[in-house]
Amino acid sequence: MPLPDSGVETHTVDGLRAWLTDCVATHLDRPADAIDTSVRLSDYGLDSLYVLAVAAELEDHLDISLDPTLMWDNPTIDALSEALVAELAQTHV
Amino acid sequence: MTAPTTTPDTVTNRLDLLLASLGGPGLPFSAETLAELDRAETFPAEACAFLDAFGLRRYYVPVEHGGALGDFSAVMTMLRSVSRADLTVAASHGKTYLGAVSTWIAGEPEAARRLGERITHGETVSCALTERDHGSDLLAGEVTARLAPDGGWLLSGEKWLINSATRAGLVTVLARTAEAGGPRGFSLFLVDKSRLPAGTFSCLPKVPTYGIRGADISGIAFHDAPLPEDALIGAVGQGVETIVKALHLTRTGCAAMSLGAGDQALRLAAEFTQGAQAGTIPLARRPYIRRELGDAAAGLLLADAVGLVAMRSVHALTGEMSVVSAVAKAFVPSAVDEIVARLLQLLGPYGLLGAGDPHGRFAKLERDHRIIGIFDGSSLVNRNALIEQFPRLVRAYRKGRWDEAGLAEATGPHVPLRPFRSDALSLLSGDGASVVAGLADAVAQVRAIASAPLAALTERVLDATGRLHEEMAQVRFAPRAVPAHAFDLAERYELCFAAASALHLWVRTSPAGGDETWLRGCLVKALTELGDKVDDTELDVLDDLADALVSRPPGTFRTLLDHLGQAGPADSREATAS
Ligand SMILES: Cc1cc2nc3c(=O)[nH]c(=O)nc-3n(C[C@H](O)[C@H](O)[C@H](O)COP(=O)(O)OP(=O)(O)OC[C@H]3O[C@@H](n4cnc5c(N)ncnc54)[C@H](O)[C@@H]3O)c2cc1C
Repeated sequence: MPLPDSGVETHTVDGLRAWLTDCVATHLDRPADAIDTSVRLSDYGLDSLYVLAVAAELEDHLDISLDPTLMWDNPTIDALSEALVAELAQTHV
Repeated sequence: MTAPTTTPDTVTNRLDLLLASLGGPGLPFSAETLAELDRAETFPAEACAFLDAFGLRRYYVPVEHGGALGDFSAVMTMLRSVSRADLTVAASHGKTYLGAVSTWIAGEPEAARRLGERITHGETVSCALTERDHGSDLLAGEVTARLAPDGGWLLSGEKWLINSATRAGLVTVLARTAEAGGPRGFSLFLVDKSRLPAGTFSCLPKVPTYGIRGADISGIAFHDAPLPEDALIGAVGQGVETIVKALHLTRTGCAAMSLGAGDQALRLAAEFTQGAQAGTIPLARRPYIRRELGDAAAGLLLADAVGLVAMRSVHALTGEMSVVSAVAKAFVPSAVDEIVARLLQLLGPYGLLGAGDPHGRFAKLERDHRIIGIFDGSSLVNRNALIEQFPRLVRAYRKGRWDEAGLAEATGPHVPLRPFRSDALSLLSGDGASVVAGLADAVAQVRAIASAPLAALTERVLDATGRLHEEMAQVRFAPRAVPAHAFDLAERYELCFAAASALHLWVRTSPAGGDETWLRGCLVKALTELGDKVDDTELDVLDDLADALVSRPPGTFRTLLDHLGQAGPADSREATAS
């Protein structure tokens, strides 16, 4: 559920990209600078089901409900950041 | 077509009457006939034909596509009834729903209408996901569909260990449509064998199996089989998503089938312990045997609570089915497997006798039921699915967030169900599990109306659930490395879910001062399995359940619904055994 105080303004593509990179790095137990945001998450071993766990954290972070297939349709951090910003813009209209 | 408006209960009653009437000597649902078919590994064609004539197939087709499926709990209750009589028949006949469900979820309305027509006219539909080297891992499949140069698709590869692959005229096939695979790399096709040129497909030999021996468990191989464009179900790349959602429904159906087998096991054991004499005291009156029977009765009621809430949740908590169906499929078949194994001990040597002996039914039931915990996603695969959702479940539980209206409908057995909407299915539940998150609220209500001992039991369930969520919150894992202890937590989660289901059902049906026996039985059983200390006086309720079990007329079944104050006379739903 969208909450009014979720701080929409702060969610830029760059901000989300940085957050996602940290999140993925934590899951993979690697430094954030070892993550290439244009590489498919599955190439890092984050398979289709596991990647849904990232979706759960994203929901927490953004305080919205996401369709988990967003993770499947946008398989890189770059694509996902763009899609999320679009999604957030829609949710908060 | 104006279908007669029959309430679900009366259709189920009619089916129960039909099954009973076909259970006499020499008839297709008699134990002897079914045992003989099993021994000969022969398909129960006659029994299936009677179910066709009854119109059971119409309940596999949603009303909007020309069938009679409106209320999922009705069709699942019917499958439970058939399963009581014979799991081979239930798995073989019910398979058509599994084969069709992807089209109901993702197919074009016109394709769904055509499929509905084929099904009601008698066509069997199979669903082929598994391959020789790949089962649970859907993304490993090698069967491939390539775009054909002149339109349509060319399908190649082999699906194996598939129920009804040979007998079915239509097969839903999951095939790789992007070389790299991945969650968007697979698509579903409805393959019509009658439209394939000779030589482009071949059915594989029947595979001998441990149980359900008469079923058509085989496979199918495709050799550049040309499929028309409209064979595609939904969009290219939508296959895995559709199947995962379809499994939310079919796994719930598997739980219903499992409960049918549990009903029969309990009935056979009760009748055996009343009839057999050890010395002069009937077995059922010996304290140990009585306790075992009571334990089994409590275990089945607890599983029944999960099954009942799960099938109502299909309508009422649709978006939570990723959790609910995983609990139902992991918990119910495991619980029934365990009940059957323990009752088998009670029967002693008689549990091991084969066809020909009146007690041979029990051994057949044990063999037949074992498959339910394996196909359509094993207990482990479902526990794995639960573990993947731990973070969301913990979050919703801690926030005390649940869908109040949905929960009231899912756990109010007499509340009319809203229409099912397949577009509300979700790969992951956004709301966690309302059944569990709403537990504290239900416990508070129990406190107001229940006896002190019952209220105390419910408080302990709530404590155990709270502690469990703290442990669940600690689980962290790298991709594909779910730690072993998380599976224990998943099992405990199932028990908390089951106890919560029973509690909600009781709160919504029992006036203050009403019967508490069945609920106390469920909670005592759940707490024992959770490792909570349950004292002797609390365990006495199991003996009450055993006495109720052995005192009912031979050949009758009593499900949890019968305890929940039906609108009519309490025993009106008791079916006569086949
Ligand atoms: C009688 C019968 C009928 C069947 N009918 C059909 C049908 O109609 N259509 C169809 O497509 N398939 C059907 N199957 C196949 C069945 O669904 C598969 O056997 C099942 O999915 C398991 O796949 P697998 O055999 O490849 O084992 P695997 O997937 O290799 O699993 C092996 C073991 O590992 C466990 N396991 C797997 N993944 C995990 C995990 N993530 N975490 C923990 N443990 C795990 C499993 O529980 C199992 O114990 C049928 C099977 C039988 C026996």
